[in-house]
Amino acid sequence: MSKKKTWFYLFSAPVLIALFLVVLLPFFYGIFYSFTNWDGVSQSAFVGISNYINALKDPTYLASLWFTIKFSVIAIVLINVIGLGLAVLVTNKFKGANILRTIFFMPNLIGGLILGFIWQFIFVEAFSAFGKLTGIPGLGSWLATTNTGFWALVIVMVWQYSGYIMVIYISYLQGIDQSLLEAADLDGATAMQKFWQIKFPLIMPGFTVSLFMTLSNCFKLYDQNLSLTAGGPYNSTQMVAMNIYNTAFSMNKMGFAQAKAVIFFVFVAIISLTQVYLTSRKEIEA
Amino acid sequence: MLGTKHKLVKSVVVGAALLGGAMTMTACSSSSSSSSKTTTVDFYNMKVEFKDQLNAAAATYNKTHKGVKVKVTSVGGGTDYQTALKAKMQSGKTPDIFALEGPQQLQTYKKYLSDVSSGKAIKKALPGTLNTVKSGSQVLGYPVLQEAIGIVYNKTIFQKAGIDASKITTMAAYENALQTLNDKKSELGIEAATAFPMKEWWVIGQHAVDPFLSQEFNGSVTKAYNAKTISWKNSDYFKQYIDATTKYSAQPVQSMDYSTQIEKLFSTGKVAMAEQGTWVYPTIESVDKNLAKNIGIIPIPVNNESAGKLPVGVTQWWAVNKQADTKTQKASRDFLDWLFTSKEGKNIVLTKLKVVPAYSGFDSSKISDPLGKDAYSYISDKKTQGLVFGGFATDWAQNGMAPELQKYVAGKESWNTAIKNSEAAWKTARAGQ
Repeated sequence: MSKKKTWFYLFSAPVLIALFLVVLLPFFYGIFYSFTNWDGVSQSAFVGISNYINALKDPTYLASLWFTIKFSVIAIVLINVIGLGLAVLVTNKFKGANILRTIFFMPNLIGGLILGFIWQFIFVEAFSAFGKLTGIPGLGSWLATTNTGFWALVIVMVWQYSGYIMVIYISYLQGIDQSLLEAADLDGATAMQKFWQIKFPLIMPGFTVSLFMTLSNCFKLYDQNLSLTAGGPYNSTQMVAMNIYNTAFSMNKMGFAQAKAVIFFVFVAIISLTQVYLTSRKEIEA
Repeated sequence: MLGTKHKLVKSVVVGAALLGGAMTMTACSSSSSSSSKTTTVDFYNMKVEFKDQLNAAAATYNKTHKGVKVKVTSVGGGTDYQTALKAKMQSGKTPDIFALEGPQQLQTYKKYLSDVSSGKAIKKALPGTLNTVKSGSQVLGYPVLQEAIGIVYNKTIFQKAGIDASKITTMAAYENALQTLNDKKSELGIEAATAFPMKEWWVIGQHAVDPFLSQEFNGSVTKAYNAKTISWKNSDYFKQYIDATTKYSAQPVQSMDYSTQIEKLFSTGKVAMAEQGTWVYPTIESVDKNLAKNIGIIPIPVNNESAGKLPVGVTQWWAVNKQADTKTQKASRDFLDWLFTSKEGKNIVLTKLKVVPAYSGFDSSKISDPLGKDAYSYISDKKTQGLVFGGFATDWAQNGMAPELQKYVAGKESWNTAIKNSEAAWKTARAGQ
């Protein structure tokens, strides 16, 4: 082994060991437990694939999965459109562009739980006060119904994530070769033409990254869900992560929850990999 | 080198633990060996509101008892505590004293529960307070306190409205009181008659349900725990209660949480009633000391059979870890005995923890809060019925009952469907155990 390789392994060892201990090992443990009726404390017995069959038959699990899919589709589209919009805005040269960048990014610095509680206050108190003031009905019970609860989740997610995604798009927008844009200017291209014909195709790799990140984060969302609606009313705004957590810790069915988690993992993995494959095919070299 | 690597691993571990939402929890077991001279008792407390008081109690005890060190760690209530406790057990660091909430945990933590029947305090436990934790001749936990569930009301507002709380023993009287309060809203300066936090599953799925199901189980937690089915004999009364309470509550009920109900509405005198229990007193006191002096608790009316009976029961027990060495077990029992039988300990329980004790030998005149006093007078008048929610099927209150009530109130399903679904959910939950 060359000296360079020794150093390589030496320096990456801590990360690899940590990764093995806290990601890979628990993951395989989890798959093992999904075939048992482990309750989290006492000894468990092997129950075959019955956990998987029950999970696919569990209406609350399927409902939370469907809710998560609906949420994710809408949130992903909105986050990326708004994120890209903000990126285009702040890469234009004008006064205050840098300050705006910071402001847009800031929501992402607040932890999900705290953010959720702040927004809960806004939805419950500020919205109802505004509703009373203007006489618009329905603003007072924003987190009390399924539909408004859903949009509350989308709003908070979009608000938090757009700024983060914006940063990714900024880096790709700034990486575009200026000579291409200058050439387009000389040919008399309009701003719209420049965006759709030049910038858009060139930031395709940015889409791959951003879509992947928003996709996995939307699907795995737990903290905002907990602090905003806690699944209510009547568990109709419960997302998959919360369904799995409740199965594990309030129903004491650790094995069953694990099976749900494995199904969820496979589901998210298939969607993300398909997405990465599809979008990276569209990437072009400038 | 090793140190920094350790740090790095630790921060990666923490980071990954925060990120890995759906991943399982696995244990990193590490052996703990206590030093030879002092016996350390690791007390894992579930009542966060007791945090400072128990720390102080432990400090007093440690000062006067050489060779023992009681260390109190307090973790949040409900599910969070159970989750944390499980994680502790998985890591091989089972605490020496930990909390049980009912028969389900008795089953789950079986191998960690030692027999404490030799404890001095156990012999002084009030009748009925040990029923749930008895297993043959063994006693598996110290009852911590007695709690009562009912309708907490504001005496000042009741007086102004001319309502006699002691007369509210029937559903009709309850509805009348709500109606009266509602009619005199502007005169009394209140926002609504009551506040009903339907967002909290435990308020509706456990507490509201309890008095209506208690008769089916003769007020016995164990009976409830062993029941394969429920039949909802009091379903009509329960419907009346839910209908009336939601109608006259501050709105919107669906997204109202505990803190809105108690801190924002009841403690500020904006509503006259709130369905809760004896535990809300410290919170109300922290908001408005004067208002807190003039409150009381009455039973949720069900039917004639239960008229005027307050649901009271032990909702928490402290267990001593069987896997700890005998010396630590004894030290743990000694500490709990000291807390519940010594003069110093009893004083702490009454005036610092401010609970309704589950043991004889307490000077009840020292109970300082009005809700505890009310509850204690119901107990001494023998006008109580047993709390049973500790024996509900696992997860039933949270996912079998509460969502059905929320659906009913939202108009998504009929009362009969809600009741039928809750019966079915009980059956399924029991079959799966």
